[in-house]
Amino acid sequence: MTDQADQSRRNFLYVAAGGLGAVAAGATLVPFIGSMLPAADTLAASKTEFDVSTVEAGQLVTIQWQGKPVFVVHRTAELLAQVDGHDDRLKDANSEAIPEVSQAWMDTPDARKYRAIKPEYLIVVASCTHLGCIPLFKPTAGRKDWGDSVPENWAGGWHCPCHGSYYDISARVINGSPAPHNLHVMPYEYKTDTQVVIG
Amino acid sequence: MLDKIMKTDLFAWIDKRTDAGAIIKSQLTEYPAPKNLNYMWNFGSLALLVLVLQILTGIFLVMYYKPSAEATFGGFTVAFDSVERIMRDVNFGWLIRYMHAVGASMFFVVVYMHIGRGMYYGSFKAPRELLWIIGVVILLIMQGAAFFGYLLPWGQMSFWGATVITNLFGAIPVLGEYIGQVLVGGFAVGDPTLNRFFSLHYLFPLLLAAIVGGHIHALHVVHSNNPEGIDLHKPEEMIPFHPYYTLKDAFGVSFFLLFYCYIVFFNPQMGGYFIEVDNYVPANNLQTPAHIAPVWYLTPWYTILRSFESKLLGVAAMGGSLAILFVLPFLCKSAVRSARYRPVYKMMVIMFFIDVIVLGYCGHSAPTATLKVVGQIATAYYFLFFFALPLLPKFEKTKPVPEGI
Repeated sequence: MTDQADQSRRNFLYVAAGGLGAVAAGATLVPFIGSMLPAADTLAASKTEFDVSTVEAGQLVTIQWQGKPVFVVHRTAELLAQVDGHDDRLKDANSEAIPEVSQAWMDTPDARKYRAIKPEYLIVVASCTHLGCIPLFKPTAGRKDWGDSVPENWAGGWHCPCHGSYYDISARVINGSPAPHNLHVMPYEYKTDTQVVIG
Repeated sequence: MLDKIMKTDLFAWIDKRTDAGAIIKSQLTEYPAPKNLNYMWNFGSLALLVLVLQILTGIFLVMYYKPSAEATFGGFTVAFDSVERIMRDVNFGWLIRYMHAVGASMFFVVVYMHIGRGMYYGSFKAPRELLWIIGVVILLIMQGAAFFGYLLPWGQMSFWGATVITNLFGAIPVLGEYIGQVLVGGFAVGDPTLNRFFSLHYLFPLLLAAIVGGHIHALHVVHSNNPEGIDLHKPEEMIPFHPYYTLKDAFGVSFFLLFYCYIVFFNPQMGGYFIEVDNYVPANNLQTPAHIAPVWYLTPWYTILRSFESKLLGVAAMGGSLAILFVLPFLCKSAVRSARYRPVYKMMVIMFFIDVIVLGYCGHSAPTATLKVVGQIATAYYFLFFFALPLLPKFEKTKPVPEGI
């Protein structure tokens, strides 16, 4: 029997049948892994409306958008002044490193620096870009209020309690932090003078 | 007792259809074990005992546990409330849950002792390389199962622990974000995450049970190492596993249960080490606890992650520190197995054990500048230990090993 068999033909059939089987097995994985991706109702781009006038001067509130925490900060003139003067200590002063840290509304140098449409209201995703913790708001400059949990030349901003990342008052990451990027920003617009639609 | 049962007609009937008698002989009553095994060889059977306890208590907990992050009228969530109900209202629920939660920690205590034994006496060396590699797979699955299980009570530590670990995958180039989404099932940890972690927490112990079967089979092919680390050939050096080691293991079990029951009944939280206090606060996705740390058995690897300022490097080092265990049998080239006859290796491996404890301590504590440096030095030694092993035979003067025992 074996003498008469065409071995090269047989080998071709083995490889062809085995290969097709492997492709079929791989294709079967698609629906199973696909089912683990976010479901349609989870994905449905939800918008969140928020009235920024409810935030007192100097106050920070954390709201929810698409299940993610979002910071809304009412920055006083004093806090806005803290944005300047430390660009050399920032990883990405102009928010250009990845798409998530800049948005279409960042169309003026001021909007880029303050990372906000209206400089006094900063709206950013509150998840630290290192491993997703929510950073603590430590707005005043220096160590007076925060002790040695912040560096000596602290310009005010956020400190992540999990792994010690620092962000300035425009939520831009400071050199030496384990976090790779600035806090993410999202599309939003002012519907009225104080009513913001996020998403 | 066993031989009386084996003489009955019923056993003969079963034996004819399953060959049970031959299996009992080859695996128990005539299975040869070295006669000089010390109490460090108890931890394998203890690990099996804890695995059985975990599966058993888990099955009963699932009768009452509900994996849902939906809010309840009390202001908490269905999952959190169902755990509290198990603790307060379900008959013996408190006992079964504490057995399960303490069991998770004790599983790692026992398995880490088992791994340490293997490293000290060179049990990973030829011909037991594959036995060791299967063991590392078991360790990884155990860590996965523990991580999935920790999310289920839906407390603050559950939630933020899962957030941090799923974000780790984001550091992987190209595929990272995709893998993160597959794990979480949404934009952030939430209800879909809880459901899939529950499913996986049920799956992983079943995988464990199967792979433990493979581990034991591989052991029974190559047979046990012994404290002298030498190959045994003479029949007078061996004793049958049953009754000698079944009894010795049973004694170890009673000793283990003494500790286990003390913790379950009198100190189930173990000062915040076995059950973290923050986990009695319901999950809040808008507030991270001031200090978050994984449970003690994951803290050594957490310190390695934290020791690097670059996210990608930290994640790679953490993955590498576990992956390197797979190649240990091929890094350690000395012909002598047991640390008893390897003075330099003995010093190095004891320092390695201390090093892992230091790593664990650093990972459990709030990060300070001093601890960061200590953690970085400990991380460096962790890797140095493994990379120094191939060079060791070049200058280590081993002591003469005995001919037999």
